[in-house]
Amino acid sequence: MALVELKNVCRSFRKGEETITPLDDVTLEIHEGDFVSLMGPSGTGKSTLLNLVAGIDRPDSGSITVAGTEITNLSRGQLADWRAANLGYIFQTHNLIPVLTAYENVELPTLLLKQTAAQRRQRVELALKAVGLSDRADHYPRQLSGGQEQRVGIARAIVANPRVVVADEPTGSLDATTSEQIQELLQRLNRELGMTVLMVTHDRDVAGIATRRLTLNRGKFLPT
Amino acid sequence: MFGYVIKTLLRHRARTLLTVSGAAVAMFVFCFVGSVQEGLERLTSGSDADRCLIVFQENRFCPSSSRLPEDYAPAIKKLRGVKQVMPIQVWTNNCRASLDIVVFNGIPPEQIRDNRPIQLVNGSWEAFLTRRDAAIIGRNIANRRGLKSGDQFTIGDLSVQVAGVFASDVPSEENLIYTSLQFLQYSRGKDTAGTVTQLEVHLTSDADPDAVASLIDQTLRTGPVATTTRRKGAFQASTLSDLVDLIGFAHWLGYACVGLVLSLVATTTVMSVQDRIKEYAVLQTLGVRPFRTMRLVILESTLLCTVGGVFGTVIASVALWTGGFAIGAEGATIAFRPSPELILVGTAVSCTVGIIAGLAPAIQAATVPIVMALRNE
Repeated sequence: MALVELKNVCRSFRKGEETITPLDDVTLEIHEGDFVSLMGPSGTGKSTLLNLVAGIDRPDSGSITVAGTEITNLSRGQLADWRAANLGYIFQTHNLIPVLTAYENVELPTLLLKQTAAQRRQRVELALKAVGLSDRADHYPRQLSGGQEQRVGIARAIVANPRVVVADEPTGSLDATTSEQIQELLQRLNRELGMTVLMVTHDRDVAGIATRRLTLNRGKFLPT
Repeated sequence: MFGYVIKTLLRHRARTLLTVSGAAVAMFVFCFVGSVQEGLERLTSGSDADRCLIVFQENRFCPSSSRLPEDYAPAIKKLRGVKQVMPIQVWTNNCRASLDIVVFNGIPPEQIRDNRPIQLVNGSWEAFLTRRDAAIIGRNIANRRGLKSGDQFTIGDLSVQVAGVFASDVPSEENLIYTSLQFLQYSRGKDTAGTVTQLEVHLTSDADPDAVASLIDQTLRTGPVATTTRRKGAFQASTLSDLVDLIGFAHWLGYACVGLVLSLVATTTVMSVQDRIKEYAVLQTLGVRPFRTMRLVILESTLLCTVGGVFGTVIASVALWTGGFAIGAEGATIAFRPSPELILVGTAVSCTVGIIAGLAPAIQAATVPIVMALRNE
């Protein structure tokens, strides 16, 4: 059974008089351990699809099942609980909480789960170690470079051991060298920890690290 | 998550300090107004105000114009329902409303010691009882005028030696200076031998105050001076009637202060949430429930308001306790002494206002579409 399953999903927005349909009857299956990259020109619905899988947006029609849960019918509160337990989200612009240290940022998702302080500490330390930032735990986001911030963002996304990690252009705001480091890190997460990753990118090279490449155009997948 | 709220407040120091200061100033005024109202309430209600009668010369309102024969006291004492009668000669430096009123009460010293709710905090009763021009003074007036035992205090034609300073559970008592009745009657420039300003009548437990008051006025109607007898609370309310109206109006100032804190903290919180709407969207993306997001915002506004409110309330209380402020007119004084209840009310009001102020921005933070907020730069 697929870990992520989208069936006949439609999503449209109104922009003034115009109706934009970034996703038109989309069907997709992602299996456990897959590393899927999603490419396509701007405005073709890549981020919309990612947000639907992440449960922070709702489709107009169709169904989305992730990790065995049909998420389209969940309330906002239930979706939050579901995200806390099943989903890791890597943002393009890191979106770290500026008043918290790297350690505290990574710890945030674990505070939402029923865990002891010792279990939390262990997970946070492991996550920081996985991204190679154990020595930056006490640093605030403003004291970190862009690449380090993104690595903290990745540690935050994986700390709760989610079933699915979604990444919205994770290298979009980084220079080439840092971008390569992040790509390697994502590959390692997939290969060594077996994490299922759905990544949106418009960079062909970045998309190349995925085990499965999809392209969206005008609301539909192009044949691979 | 409490740590997150604290860190957020500390990170935005200028905003936090300004909001806390604003709330503190407003709650300072709230507490000040509240303590004045409490002072008036204490003066015009309670057992002393209801179970004591004041006999005053009919149609006279100022202590300097009321002159009752001192021998009215034994006549009243004989009436049924009367436990004790205390002749009082009043002298005040100012019959009009004043923030630094000095009121002398001349009463037979034994009656002061036995009947007034006061405790000497320094000095001695012996010194007061043995010296003709000795006076014991309330703590508030001692603080205001910088007086201590052994000092000579002169005001107008009166000059007394301070034999002691007293405290009292009845705050208005601490604005009085007690001398012996004879001293005040015979002091230089006074022509009041054999007369007193008023008589304070203490009742037996089964007496009806209004019935006894009527009986006193009826009995003394045949005497040289007609009287008006009222409950002590009603007498003081009537004496301070101009101030009572003003103080009654001032409670709107208290409400205005609460409104001010509400709008200040609400504005700050709304701006804070709008600035950080993306942050709240990130928290929700990580799995923070909308209700928890609301709680974070409300906790922030409540902390701002409560810290400021408690700070203002405590500062006001300390200032009022140590400053010995009072307002008086025609020999009656209202002490601005805040009660512990007022401090609790101030804290509770701050906390409640903080919760209310945070509601709208909390709902905004919890219900904003996450995707839209994440795009917000």
